[in-house]
Amino acid sequence: MTKRMRTTVRAVAVLATAGLAIGLNACASDASGEVTTLNFFQFKGEALEDFNQMIADFEAENPDIRIVQNQVADADTLIRTLLVKDRVPDIVTLNANGNFGRLAEAGVFYDFSDEPVLETINPAVQDILADLGTYGDEVNGLGYVNNANGVIYNAAIFEEQGLEVPETWDEFIALCDALTAAGITPFYGTLADSWTGVPSWNALGAYPAQDDFFDKMRAQGTDIGPDSEVSFQKDFAEMMDQQYTLYSYMQDGYRGKTYDDGNAAFANGEVAMLLQGIWATNPIKQVNPDIEMGIFPYPGTDDPDDRLLVSGVDVVFTMGKNNPKQEAAMRFIDYAFQTDVIEGFAASQNMVPSVEGAQISDDPALQSVKPFFDDGRITGFIDHQIPPAVPLIPIDQEFLFNGDAEAALKTLDNEWRKVAARTIPVTTGEDQ
Amino acid sequence: MTITQAVRSSATDGAAPKRAGRIRTENRRASAAFYWMVWPAVIAFAGFHTLPVLVGIFFSFTNYAGYGAWNFVGLSNYFNLFQDDRVLQAYGFSFLFAIVATILTNAFSLAIALGLNAKIKARNFWRGVYFVPYILAILVIGYVFQFFFSNSLPKILAGIPLFADNILANEQWACTAIVALAVWQACAFAIIIYLSGLQTIPAEMYEAASLDGASAWRQFTSITFPLIGAFFTINVVLSLKGFLQVFDPIVALTNGGPGTSTESVTLLIFRGGFSGGEFAYQTANAVVFFIVITIVSLFQFRVLQRREADF
Repeated sequence: MTKRMRTTVRAVAVLATAGLAIGLNACASDASGEVTTLNFFQFKGEALEDFNQMIADFEAENPDIRIVQNQVADADTLIRTLLVKDRVPDIVTLNANGNFGRLAEAGVFYDFSDEPVLETINPAVQDILADLGTYGDEVNGLGYVNNANGVIYNAAIFEEQGLEVPETWDEFIALCDALTAAGITPFYGTLADSWTGVPSWNALGAYPAQDDFFDKMRAQGTDIGPDSEVSFQKDFAEMMDQQYTLYSYMQDGYRGKTYDDGNAAFANGEVAMLLQGIWATNPIKQVNPDIEMGIFPYPGTDDPDDRLLVSGVDVVFTMGKNNPKQEAAMRFIDYAFQTDVIEGFAASQNMVPSVEGAQISDDPALQSVKPFFDDGRITGFIDHQIPPAVPLIPIDQEFLFNGDAEAALKTLDNEWRKVAARTIPVTTGEDQ
Repeated sequence: MTITQAVRSSATDGAAPKRAGRIRTENRRASAAFYWMVWPAVIAFAGFHTLPVLVGIFFSFTNYAGYGAWNFVGLSNYFNLFQDDRVLQAYGFSFLFAIVATILTNAFSLAIALGLNAKIKARNFWRGVYFVPYILAILVIGYVFQFFFSNSLPKILAGIPLFADNILANEQWACTAIVALAVWQACAFAIIIYLSGLQTIPAEMYEAASLDGASAWRQFTSITFPLIGAFFTINVVLSLKGFLQVFDPIVALTNGGPGTSTESVTLLIFRGGFSGGEFAYQTANAVVFFIVITIVSLFQFRVLQRREADF
């Protein structure tokens, strides 16, 4: 190797090494003077088009802001991975579940306490969010639209068969038997998507979970079992039997069908009911725009007055704690909460808007649950109270496959106990 | 012990390789250019691999959730790991899966490699065909297989209840579908390694054996198999290591279900760490798993290298 050649090789190598070293550093920040580009992390696939429209309208009014909607699958996992990498998106929508509560508790989200938009939101909705978890007494999210988790039914089939909405458990079973006798499959099961077992579990489990079941569970620590004051084995046996009974009225092959299969089959009138929440009405309408649907709460009791509608905050808006683009992001959030904008979004998504004074659309499915919202006969999703490290979805799916309620409840108690035993709370103040 | 070292030492039955006589150079050191060629790779490897591993090991001694505040908790994560039956179940599944899949992969690959090494028509075409699965993205193939198991097979084999009800929804048998997909994909690479091994055996050996009247089976057991011993070792070690870390086929086919019956260790680490929010606890699990795989691989090398032949 000649001397000159050696120098060349060395120069190339130095360049390559330097290039790698730069590549290992964080990406350079993009400082665009003219237009602020906001990264909008959006969890809800069904809302992709609505948000695109909203963004287009907003950008027309605000030419200095550009918003890139990033619609993601499995948002709960992805937002965690982004947080691990310290790359919080500028605007975030999430489903307000237990995960959202834990993220809020970790103090990664902005505090909306002093934002004027907070005054316009129904306080009951913000209470549901606060129950999930907050950082200190901050307000870490803004409830946007609320859902209802009930039984979706095909109004035309009910009318044809002369059937009424059931108000007690016995009426519910009688209804299923009447449908079966008429040669109509009552429900369409979609257990290939394992999560689709959980909506009915939440709705029926809401009854035994009243009277602070989960507060007592947390107070018991690791002392969970058939003999403890409260436990799944002790309080949830009846509810599990109810769920398994409903699954005995499914179509053939319900184990291998997906959520989309179920929505399409229901839209085409193949079955009378779906064990899904109001979020499914939109995909159903995409298949059959003319379908007439209603929703009724799961009547898990013998007294019609004890019926409860399970409801949660379906979409919550939030953003990162220390975001340089905060002002621009807040402008979009303020725009989204304007009465006419939120009404349009809620009507399109078949949800209940959280801004006070915003009207519920006159969709029959929404109107059928309106009385429960008006009377306050609503309760939260119980799976938001269960630590995510407890594999609830697989446990419930397995139970619906094999019908062994005792084993499923024992597993639930055991997983809860293990998570309680190994959770070592962070002593705040030692922020490192 | 790196793989290349293993190959080198196993190809010579563990004896120290013969060095070529050193040519005297002026400064008895490799030219600086070689060092400069190595640096970029070293930096990239350290930055993207070694450093994250060390950070992960560090956080396995904390209660870090992946974000926010945290404290040191000593060895609690490790103690809790050994009391977690879900972890033990995942280890059981991973090992059973890996052993079954390794045996099947090597049996099929060796058989196919022998066929592709024989004088068959359109040999290169067939070699290409058998290599295709290796090029395809496993997730894409996984979803094709998922559709096949959920929708096609129930119609084709409607008479057999196991397949008619979607084998993926069957707690006992869902794992066989995952084995089928994983083996189908892994065979391609193993075949290539066996083929290269078979080409190192001189044809004279077989000629001599035929003259002595050795049957085809005898030729395989006494010549072929012992002489590709080093390649067999590599294949078995690599496939067991790969199958222990099985992830993609499970995500595509069952996502760990039904229930948690097909949850492998890697899937559990991913799920519990990110979706379950137990980042530090599952990092401890990952550290333990790393140690387990290292021990298993080293043990395999020691056992398998004893029975390699050389010529």
